[in-house]
Amino acid sequence: MGPLIPLDIIPEQWNNVIAVIIGMAFGFIMEGSGFSSSRKIVGLFYGYDFTVLRVFFTATVTTAIGLYYFSYLGWIDMSLVYIHPTYLTAAIVGGLIMGVGFVAGGYCPGTSLIGAAIGRIDGMVFTLGLMIGIFFFSEGFSIFEGLYNGGFMGYITITEYFNISSQLFIFLFTVVAVAAFYFTTLIRRRVKQVNY
Amino acid sequence: MSKVYIIFASLLILVAFGLVLLPDTEHEDQIPPEALLKEIMNQSRFLSADLIAARIIDEDPSIMLVDVRTAEAYNSYSLPGAINIPLKETLDEEWQPYLNQRGVDVVFFSNGDLFADQAWILCSRLGYKNLYVMEGGLNQWFTQIMQPTVPPDTSPNEDFDLYSFRKAASIYFGGGAPAQSTQDIKGENIQIIRREKKTATAGGC
Repeated sequence: MGPLIPLDIIPEQWNNVIAVIIGMAFGFIMEGSGFSSSRKIVGLFYGYDFTVLRVFFTATVTTAIGLYYFSYLGWIDMSLVYIHPTYLTAAIVGGLIMGVGFVAGGYCPGTSLIGAAIGRIDGMVFTLGLMIGIFFFSEGFSIFEGLYNGGFMGYITITEYFNISSQLFIFLFTVVAVAAFYFTTLIRRRVKQVNY
Repeated sequence: MSKVYIIFASLLILVAFGLVLLPDTEHEDQIPPEALLKEIMNQSRFLSADLIAARIIDEDPSIMLVDVRTAEAYNSYSLPGAINIPLKETLDEEWQPYLNQRGVDVVFFSNGDLFADQAWILCSRLGYKNLYVMEGGLNQWFTQIMQPTVPPDTSPNEDFDLYSFRKAASIYFGGGAPAQSTQDIKGENIQIIRREKKTATAGGC
């Protein structure tokens, strides 16, 4: 029966409306999880708060397990689910820039908007920086184009690339996630508590 | 560490391990027989020859005519703008982009209804949309459009309107429709009255 929009169960025209509704719910839950605070987010780097890691690992694992049970029950056709194309060079360079920006600024693009939305000044400054970055990237696109399209590997997934079963990969990923939850708890106990 | 965390973590691993144990399943992505029967019983897939003739004449870009007869039959005669996808090649990979699409009405036709309808059922089972069948096929096309019959005198005006459309369509498609007007002009001797030549005025006034 799913995915709902590619199979026309929900008309394509609703795509943007649904995106806005999901976006609002996403922002609401992010704010509720405390992601509007840059100090909470960078806590992952300094080792005093691992909420970000927990939220995102839980979300990924829950979604992956859920989708593959849905697929088993015939509720969703996994071959129709959109896979974002991989640009390896661009992903590595972008990941490095994003990582540095994350630690230095304390936000990722989404959370900076959440911070700005609830009136945090650092969030607003970060959003402004984001816009300036977008402006320079867009204006200088001809310079960055080779990098932007670099290392194109198509619509590939890790399991396809290494030729292992998706279910096995999800199981291993879950084990890694739970192990990460455990070890981050240990780290957090040893690091000096920060009040923010 | 609280017990709740341990319970939830074990549950997560257990559920993920369950995924590994699940057997591989191949899901049929075809529509169930009940739904197909319902679609077959719905007659709205049949488009009349008149409707299709009108759309061809209007050069409607949202219609794609598919001739499901053999290539020889297609080469000897087919509708203008029709493409040839013989019934036995319906499932070939090369034709799928033509058949599986949105925005264009795919109209199957053959000599009668039968082969076109079989192509319609095959494509409907594949879940394709906007599929139609030309009612009566090329046989009906010939009797209705190419050689329309004059409706009886007692017919309502609509029938005469339809008849004049069919005649016009017949001329458009190069058929042998009688191109005379409906008024009977036989048996009347038309008298040609010639004006007498005026005699040239002679002399001054």
